[in-house]
Amino acid sequence: MILVIGAAASGKTEYVKSLGFTDSDIANAVMDERPVLNNLQDMVFSDPDGSANLYDELLKKSVVICNEVGSGIIPVERTERDAREATGRLCNRLAQAAERVVRLVCGIPIVIK
Amino acid sequence: MRILLTGGSACGKSTYAEALAMRFSLPRYYIATMRVFGEEGQKKVDQHRKMRESKNFITIECDRDIRRIRIPQNSTVLLECMCNLTANEMFDCYGNIIDVHDKILSDIEFLESQCQTLIVVTNDVGSDGVKYDKGTQEYIKTLGRLNIALAERFDCVYELVCGIPLVLKGSLL
Repeated sequence: MILVIGAAASGKTEYVKSLGFTDSDIANAVMDERPVLNNLQDMVFSDPDGSANLYDELLKKSVVICNEVGSGIIPVERTERDAREATGRLCNRLAQAAERVVRLVCGIPIVIK
Repeated sequence: MRILLTGGSACGKSTYAEALAMRFSLPRYYIATMRVFGEEGQKKVDQHRKMRESKNFITIECDRDIRRIRIPQNSTVLLECMCNLTANEMFDCYGNIIDVHDKILSDIEFLESQCQTLIVVTNDVGSDGVKYDKGTQEYIKTLGRLNIALAERFDCVYELVCGIPLVLKGSLL
């Protein structure tokens, strides 16, 4: 599994397409048979407590795309804090298991693992 | 030479950008795009003006339509910053959202056609995980696309972290 992270609108999806995947390969925040899962953070935000259970399924994907969500001001709302925390923790675990981790900045892919 | 500098708030982009600009030939222009609102805005402007003192910058205040700027061919230009420029172009006083991606890119290209060295400061505004209203989401997307387009064309792209430039493209000058 390749984990692709980066800010919102940093060029993550375009990068994944450059690897040969097409729109029909990319599932948007829903777990199905498609090889690429996009917007993992949306799945975590909709259910932070249950998000850790996604781990096993995510490892079966070819590519997992997730926004970096942990910078900026720590949110006042408890639920938002929990969601950011859960996203970060899940990404850490995924990164450990991933064969490659790529971070996009201004459309430029940097392999960080 | 075209250089893009990115990073979060207060990571040392301006300081680094000015030091970098000092290494290129005169005349040296600083394009200030911030619209000054209230005391906080004025404080920021004063702070940046003080930083630029004695660095031989000619300051051009231009909060939008940078196509209007005319400068000599051998100039060094520091454009600060994409975040303000994009916001100023995108939102009008009636609350409308305008698609400004192509317009801003073409304005920058015109600026490039006039100068020898261009240093552009931008910002990473999409990493806080906050779900914003539609206008702000559109803004994040537009700025992100502009950053990608500039990074693709420019010679060097650096991300500043704690004042340290990390090379994303090109080599460290």
